[in-house]
Amino acid sequence: MTIAIPTLETDRLILREHHAADLDPLAAFYADETRCKGFGGPLDRADSWRWMASSLGHWKLRGYGYWSVEEKATGLFCGLAGPWNPEGWREPELGWFTTAQAEGRGIAFEAASRARDYIFDTLGFQTLTSNIVPGNDRSIKLAERLGATLDGSYENPHMGKVLVYRHPSPSEQDADGNVEAYA
Amino acid sequence: MTSTTFTIPSLETDRLILRAPSVNDLDAEAEFHSTDRAEFVGGKMPREQVFKMLATFLGHWAIRGFGFWGVDEKSSGRYVGHVGLWHPEGWPEREIGWGVMGWAEGKGFAFEAAKAAREYAYDTLNWTTAISLIATQNTRSQALARRLGATQDGAFKHERLGDSLIFRHPSPEMLASQQGDV
Repeated sequence: MTIAIPTLETDRLILREHHAADLDPLAAFYADETRCKGFGGPLDRADSWRWMASSLGHWKLRGYGYWSVEEKATGLFCGLAGPWNPEGWREPELGWFTTAQAEGRGIAFEAASRARDYIFDTLGFQTLTSNIVPGNDRSIKLAERLGATLDGSYENPHMGKVLVYRHPSPSEQDADGNVEAYA
Repeated sequence: MTSTTFTIPSLETDRLILRAPSVNDLDAEAEFHSTDRAEFVGGKMPREQVFKMLATFLGHWAIRGFGFWGVDEKSSGRYVGHVGLWHPEGWPEREIGWGVMGWAEGKGFAFEAAKAAREYAYDTLNWTTAISLIATQNTRSQALARRLGATQDGAFKHERLGDSLIFRHPSPEMLASQQGDV
């Protein structure tokens, strides 16, 4: 049995499978309560490792999952982005987070846009959500910048109440792949 | 677009197949983990947690190059449980672990699968030693460790999972000198 994880590229970023070396920055993220609440945290280092393993395993169980986002120029681990749908989720979502070091440079937007293209073009999804915990204003802003709009909420077994942002479907995007309202 | 791949080998014993954990194992594991039987094998947990556990089993292979197999009985195709090689962050050292469904107990399945896992660890991965971490009150599993020739070698306290005993398996040389007695 083989698990295959594709590598994607953008102007500034590589989206690749998690490496063991991602544990240090991942554990730092999961130790920062202000950042990791929307991602099932906080977690200690051992549980951060298990989280990373479960994220890799999600690729086998669902056929897709999170990529680690790496800045090409520096090799810096910038965070995660990708499609996510473990047991208990109401429908598949596009998730992301950015580390403190990588914030404020449009990296999450660039990574999430590339991941969404893969989700629509390669996986063939017709619709896509992002689950965001209330109060995570930075993530809500990014969802809105991606053209997603609020479409209800639900009680997620891991996260508690989450807001559901729905992305424009492939047919709602113009031929260039841009969202109409933002073109 | 390039891809990175991870391969999980399958093993076979007289009565069992050891293969990659699968989403098809979720129902049986979720049922098992809804009962007290799971007390010493990760504990009672809801289905969502069991999914995450299976995902962690798979990802462990990707990170470490070894991990838990899902075990099926050949004759029936029925899911026996998970048995394999385990070394997550924070573990004292590499271990041989097992968690067997209620119906499959008392048939020597865990023994048969753990032996195959140990052979794989020694012969293919070239481990020179291995432990099994067993909850202090889990006397049934301790009996299996002894049957595998392992002996108690200290204790370990896990922050979340609590107190366990360390059983150390016979080394590859010890097993060779016993000429397959174990």
